[in-house]
Amino acid sequence: MTDKSKSRDLDISRFSPETVYTIYIAAQPDEVWRALTSAKFSRQYFFGFAVEADLRAGGAFIVRAPDGSEHISGEVIVCQPPQRLTITWDVNWPGLVEALGRTLVTYEIEPAGDAVRLTMTEAHDRPLSDDILSGGRQGWPAILSGLKSVLETGKPLAVKMPPPARMLAALKTLGVKLPG
Amino acid sequence: MDEVFKALADASRRALLDRLHARNGQTLTELCDGLAMTRQAVTKHLAILETANLVTTLRHGREKLHFLNPVPIHQIGERWIRKFERAKLTALSELKKRLEDGDD
Repeated sequence: MTDKSKSRDLDISRFSPETVYTIYIAAQPDEVWRALTSAKFSRQYFFGFAVEADLRAGGAFIVRAPDGSEHISGEVIVCQPPQRLTITWDVNWPGLVEALGRTLVTYEIEPAGDAVRLTMTEAHDRPLSDDILSGGRQGWPAILSGLKSVLETGKPLAVKMPPPARMLAALKTLGVKLPG
Repeated sequence: MDEVFKALADASRRALLDRLHARNGQTLTELCDGLAMTRQAVTKHLAILETANLVTTLRHGREKLHFLNPVPIHQIGERWIRKFERAKLTALSELKKRLEDGDD
């Protein structure tokens, strides 16, 4: 990757949370942590995508599509197992990062009685339209519900969900090249 | 799930969720602005919405921001909507929205 992916250029304080989702899961914090950071689990709840994380600040965070391509080539920014993981979540579509800026995703895992409260925050360093944000807003509830289902029942949730048309249209307007 | 339905069974609380849907991540003061509700009433409703996990709060700098959390509503959908119905339901909602000019 080029230098732009390096965290030393990243000022986290400039990012504002745009989407924040919370889910309660009957599991231990380290189980949730493992499910968020391992390909074996993520394939079951994340539309078949494999999470490959080098779990240290500055380590690579990759989300690999079922066809083997790198859908997301990110970087670990904060790594405090099993409580907090912040990563750059930059989708590898040509021109996307240039048009939207970087995306920061933080998972926070807190014990809540016998369960765990998992909070996902998607933050950006500039205002983005609802059309652009609709991608995450559609995808994350399905991903988090799937994660809960895998951890609580061992059974994956087969949600099939194409990206929202309004997001694809907005990206196209911004000059982002869409795959396929 | 009981808490979700109880929280949603109130027009004032649905109005607060509508406001967050229109603009996510608001402070209590922003949420109160222009509402015919006292600050205490809004605080009380927000607490019920937070207990039901329909609203999540986050500290950002010195502000406490409120975010709409649709995850429980998604789970309700997963429970009663079958996989193959989703696309048809989305199409129907889109049609309704267009015919009613977004006023749903």
